[in-house]
Amino acid sequence: MKRWWLRPAVRIGAALSLPLIVPAIITWLIWALPGDPASLICPPSRCKGTEELAKRWNLHEGPGHYFQTWLDGALSLDFGRSWFVYMGMDLGKLLSESIPVTLALVALAMFWTGTGVVGAASGWISQRLDPLLQTVGMIPVLVIALVGAAVVDMKYGFGSSGQEGQMARLLIGSAVLGLADGAFTGAVTGTRGLFRREEKQRYVGVAILRGERVLSNTLPNVTPALMGQLRARMLHLLSGAVVVEVMLKINGVGEMLWLGTLEQDFGVVLPTATVFALASSTLLLMQACGEILVALHVRRSPRVEAA
Amino acid sequence: MALRRTFLALGGLAMGVLGTGATLKYYEEALPTSLNPLFADTMVDARAQELIFDRLWYRDAITNELSTRIVARHDVAEVGRAIKITLKEGIQWHDGTTMSAKDLCFTVRAMLDSRTPSVVAAAYQEFISGCEIQGPSVALIRFRKVLPNPRERLGFAILPASQFSSTSISPDLEFSARPIGTGPFKGVRARREVIFDAFNNSHHTPSLVQLQLREGGDPLLQIRSLEGAEVEGIIVVPPGSRADLRASDEVSLKSYDLRSWWYVAVNSNRAALADKRVRQALNLLIDRNQLREFAVGVQAGDRNSPCEFISGPFVQTSPFYNRSIPTVPTANRAKADALLKSAGLERVGGRWQFNGEPITLKVGMQANLNNEATDLLEQIGNQLGDAGFDRQTSKVSADEWNQEVVSGQSDFDLVIGKWSFGLVDAVNDLFHTNGRKNIFNYSDAATDALLDEYENAITDTEQKDAYHKLHALLAEDLPYLFLWKLDTKSGWRTEVRGNIITPYFYFTEIDAWKAD
Repeated sequence: MKRWWLRPAVRIGAALSLPLIVPAIITWLIWALPGDPASLICPPSRCKGTEELAKRWNLHEGPGHYFQTWLDGALSLDFGRSWFVYMGMDLGKLLSESIPVTLALVALAMFWTGTGVVGAASGWISQRLDPLLQTVGMIPVLVIALVGAAVVDMKYGFGSSGQEGQMARLLIGSAVLGLADGAFTGAVTGTRGLFRREEKQRYVGVAILRGERVLSNTLPNVTPALMGQLRARMLHLLSGAVVVEVMLKINGVGEMLWLGTLEQDFGVVLPTATVFALASSTLLLMQACGEILVALHVRRSPRVEAA
Repeated sequence: MALRRTFLALGGLAMGVLGTGATLKYYEEALPTSLNPLFADTMVDARAQELIFDRLWYRDAITNELSTRIVARHDVAEVGRAIKITLKEGIQWHDGTTMSAKDLCFTVRAMLDSRTPSVVAAAYQEFISGCEIQGPSVALIRFRKVLPNPRERLGFAILPASQFSSTSISPDLEFSARPIGTGPFKGVRARREVIFDAFNNSHHTPSLVQLQLREGGDPLLQIRSLEGAEVEGIIVVPPGSRADLRASDEVSLKSYDLRSWWYVAVNSNRAALADKRVRQALNLLIDRNQLREFAVGVQAGDRNSPCEFISGPFVQTSPFYNRSIPTVPTANRAKADALLKSAGLERVGGRWQFNGEPITLKVGMQANLNNEATDLLEQIGNQLGDAGFDRQTSKVSADEWNQEVVSGQSDFDLVIGKWSFGLVDAVNDLFHTNGRKNIFNYSDAATDALLDEYENAITDTEQKDAYHKLHALLAEDLPYLFLWKLDTKSGWRTEVRGNIITPYFYFTEIDAWKAD
C-alpha cells in the first residue's frame, strides 16, 4: 500500500491534539453544569466576596478565559491548588504522588491481560477454558471492587489508609481491573482469534513447509492489530481504573478526577482529565510507532544470497 | 531572627513529640473541608480547627462560663461600643513567632474585608466595625452597636498576620491544608487523614503527643476497630451501634452536645400551609414520643435521655427558653382534625383536600441526619400518611441543602433539619424576613419586631425578654414544628482518661486528655 504512512500520521496528529482538545471540551462541559464553584463556597445570599473569588479562580470571563489561563499555568507545570476536594493542597504535588499510583495500578492490571495475550498466542491457555473465563469475565468490576474494598477494610481497619493498606488496595485493585468486565477474557479470546485468522493465510502454510516457525512469520503481520487491541485494552483499563480507585480508595488520579467532578472542583478536574488524555496520546504514539516500524520492516528489500 | 523562630517552633513541637503522652487515633464523620477557621463548613471542620487555634473567648465545658486562654485583660470601652483587649504575653504561633495585637486586628480586618468569601466572617461583619492596634499586645475592637455581652460574640479564632499577604483570604490558600495557629496541636491535612502534632506553649500543655483523624466509613467497621483497640475513639457513634458499645467494658459512651435542635420547617407560602391552623394541626399530628422511640431509640421516661423535646427555637438549658410554653410529646388527632376543618380542609375518602384538591406534602430531610435519627423521614411521612395526607419524601444532599434549601429556593412543603447554633443562641437569621438562613422565606411583622428588639437590646434582660416573647409567638405561629435537642454519643476506649467533651467544639479541653 503506497499510503501506509497515512494511518500512523492520523494517530500522531490525534495524539498531539488530544491533550489540548480534552481539557477544552471538559472546560466547556463543566461550564454547562448548573451552579458555580464560587457560589458553592460563598453563596451570595449568605456572604460577600463571591465575585472576588470568581475573579481569583478566573471564572468571571467565561470558559475561554478560564481555559486560556489554565493552559498558561499548565504549560509551566503550575496547576494551582484544589478549591474544595483537597482544599489548599498543591495540585502539582498531589498529581506527582497520584500518577505513579495509577500507572502502577494499570501496569499491574496489564500483567493479567498480558498473561492472557501471551497465553493465547503461545497456546498454553487452552480453548477449553473459554467458557469458564467468559463466566468470570461477566462479573462487573464494581461488584468485585466492592468486595475487595470490604476485605481490605476488615483486615486493616484504621491502618487501611496507611502504606500497607494502600499496597493491599493496589494489588487487589489490579486483580479486579485485570480480571473483571471481560478484561482477561477479552485478551485471551481476542489474541487467539487474531492469530488463528492469520495462521490460515497461505504464506504461513508455505513457511511451515520451509521449516520456519509460525510465530516468527505471523507476528509482524498481526503486530499492528495486536497493538490496536493492546491500546484498546489499556484504555479500557484506564477508564476502569477510575471506578476501581474510587471503590477501593486508592490514592490515584482516577479518584481525584471523580471527586473533582462531583464537587465541581475545576482545579482538580482539568489536570486529571489531561493526565488521562496524555495517557491516551502516549498509547496512540506507541501504536503509530509500532505501525511505522512494521511497515518499514515489511518494505525492506530482503537480502538474496548470490547463487 | 528567623533562625530563632525556627528553633522555637521546633522546640515546641519537639517538647510535644518527645513528651510522655500517647497517640490518639479516632474516626470522624468525614475529613475536614478546610483547616482555616474562616471557611468552617461542617462540624468536622469546627472540631478539627479547635485543636489548632485558640478562640478569643470560649465557654468552659463544665461551668459554661466564658473563659479565655489568650486574653490577659479586657475592658468595655466607648460606652459599650468597643472592647479593649490586652493579650497575654509569650504565646507562640506554631511557626515560632509570637502572637500580638497585630494578629488580632489582622483577623478582624480579614473578616471585615468584603473580598474574603467567608460565610463565617459574614456573621461578624454585622456587628464588628473595625479594630485598632493600641500597643504590642493591646487592641480595640469596635462594634456597630452596643452589645450587652461582647465577649459572648467574640468567639472567633485568631489568625497569624505573617502567613497572609493581604486581608483578602481565599479558601484555596495553603493555609487551609497546613495552618499555623496557637492551639495545642499543629495540624496538617493529607489526602486521607489529618495529623495533629502536639505543640507545647505557655498556655497549652497537651498530654497527648499526636492525634490522627481519619474518615469513619462503614459503622460496623468503625465499631470493630474501636473494640479491637485499633482506634481509641469515634466522634459520632451511629444510634444502631450504641447498644453494642454500651455492653462493652473497654469502651465508654460519652454524650456530645451539638448545641443544636431539630425541626420540621413548614413552607407557609404554600396553599393550605399558609393558614396557621393547618400548621398547628400538623404540630399536633406529629407524635414525638413515637418518633423518638423509633428513630433515636429513646423511650419516654428514659433517664439521662440524650433527646429532649423543645417547644420553641431554643434548647431547654438556654436562658432564652420560655418554660411556660409546653412541649407536645404525643399526637392529638381529634384536636388536629378540628383545626384542619376550621381552616377549610375537607376529608374525602380518608384524605385531606384543600379547595377540592388533594393535598400532597413534599417532605425533604438533610441526608446525613439519617445517621443520627434512623428513618426519621419515613416515620414522619408515615405519621402524616396515617393522618390523611399524601406525601412524597426525599433526602436532600448537603450541596442541595446549602445552595437551595437554606437560601429559600427549594420547592418542598416540609423539610426536616437540624440547627446548630454554636456559640450564640441568636435565631434572627432563621426567622427574620431578611434572614440569611430563612428556609421558606417566612415573614411576619410581629416576629421581625421581636427579632429587632433582640438586636437592639443593650442588656441581657432585654435580650431574654425579647426572645421569651419570640418563643411564645413562634410556638403559636409555627413556621417550624420544633422537635427536640438531640445529643449524639461518642465512643472512647477506657484507656483515654480526662476526656471532657465540650459542647459543639468538642476538643476545647484537649490539654487534659490522657491515654495509656
